[in-house]
Amino acid sequence: MSFIPFAHALIVKQDLPIPAWLFAWAASIVLIASFFALSVAWRTPRFENERWRPIVAGVSNAILGWPAQIVCGAIGVFLLGVAIYSGLRGSEAPDRNFAITFLFITAWIGFPFFSALLGNIFRPFNPWRAIGRVGGGGFRLVAGQRSAHLAYPRALGRWPAAVGLLAFVWLEVVYGSTGGVAVGLDPHVAGTAALLYSAYTLAMMALFGVEEWCERGEVFSVYFGMFSELAPIGVQRGRLGWRKPLSAATKWATMPGSAAVVIASISSTSFDGAQEGAFKGAIESVFGDVADTGISLITALRLTDTVFMLATFAGVGLIYALGIRGMRSIPRAPSTAKLRIGFAHTLIPIALAYLIAHYFSLFVYQEQAQFTYLLSDPLGTANTDLFGTASGAIDFHVLSGNAIWYVQVVALIAGHVLGLALAHDRALVYWKDYRLATQSQYWMLAVMIAFTCFGLYLLSANA
Amino acid sequence: MILPLAHLGHWLWTFYVVPVLIVVIGILRTRSVQKRREDKRDASRRRPPTGRAR
Repeated sequence: MSFIPFAHALIVKQDLPIPAWLFAWAASIVLIASFFALSVAWRTPRFENERWRPIVAGVSNAILGWPAQIVCGAIGVFLLGVAIYSGLRGSEAPDRNFAITFLFITAWIGFPFFSALLGNIFRPFNPWRAIGRVGGGGFRLVAGQRSAHLAYPRALGRWPAAVGLLAFVWLEVVYGSTGGVAVGLDPHVAGTAALLYSAYTLAMMALFGVEEWCERGEVFSVYFGMFSELAPIGVQRGRLGWRKPLSAATKWATMPGSAAVVIASISSTSFDGAQEGAFKGAIESVFGDVADTGISLITALRLTDTVFMLATFAGVGLIYALGIRGMRSIPRAPSTAKLRIGFAHTLIPIALAYLIAHYFSLFVYQEQAQFTYLLSDPLGTANTDLFGTASGAIDFHVLSGNAIWYVQVVALIAGHVLGLALAHDRALVYWKDYRLATQSQYWMLAVMIAFTCFGLYLLSANA
Repeated sequence: MILPLAHLGHWLWTFYVVPVLIVVIGILRTRSVQKRREDKRDASRRRPPTGRAR
């Protein structure tokens, strides 16, 4: 293949044994085979019951008890404080400042990865929850009664979290994207944004209650909590226990806006991946037209990127909506609203797959920086060396180009097969006749294949 | 010999659309075959029984 002079070749960095697009075909065949295997061998719902078993009481108490909660909360508040301080007072170079890597990579990518394995680990470390609980405790102590809260509008559901999620990603990939003028988001902006978000979150917690806001509106609690539903570990009635992997996800999407959260996750990752690859030509073309109107180049770029980001959100939502519409056409189908909420959790493994596929290598590289020079010199001023690792560097040879590609492909295929299994399981709940359930899933198969091929295309276009 | 395919890369996305199209066409075809079969069955049910005249 190397004799073909592609202008934007996808084989420049990778030396794959077969063309990248063939992976999409192979992935589609895997999905189709999985679909038929599910329809033949899986005729009763299996994920609806978590089969939760408590772990040893001593271990559960040690992890969930007050001392651990206080220590974890204090660590969370301290790290948020360091991120805000280093953002506001540290170097302007994003790669040398603790704030950017900590907020946008260690926390933003690390918590979903580990939550999917270990359960909701963000909850005890959530700095805003810790501050809110201490504030609530202080109020009780002084006033002698619990603080009164407003009733949270049920119709809002998780929409505040979905909008916040898009806003967070917008800040990094749109506002921070300056078309080569700078190298990324200004740490001062990140520090200010973290400060503003803290004020907003604490105000909402005071209005609606700490746990209520964490469950519905607090972006990071909702986002990381969503991935923790896939984990084989969870808490029930204040006790830690084992459960069937993925099973808790079946009860996650029970309120409005849940589908929007998971769609926002997939679309924001997709846009981030496509911005410099698949969408590059189209963005440049629209940017040229917008810039011709006379507005500044930075504003034109941000406006163009915003439009493309929203279009990606709408596109991913449309693919999901088509799948739902297809299912609605099957006899004895529930209402569209019920289907839309009922199948939203099937996209969670896909959202995780997209995260792994797009950010796995970035995470591996940047965590080397996080635990060496960024930890020893958080402000990035080259004046401190707290742990003697300030001169550390990133070793880019720990992962080969091909290893990254295979991790990406395996993550995408596994995520979509799991999504397909969850969808098939939910269909068996809605359609008692397994033949109708299987028929309804033809459309979800198309959705999964579309997402897989789209994901692989984005990755190949970035290569 | 170098083939003049400098901009072939711009059309690679079509390869990623093909599996989706195959599945969607397969679904639509299955649905139409099924619908035709059901219509035929309904029509045969609606047809009055042809008993022998006595």
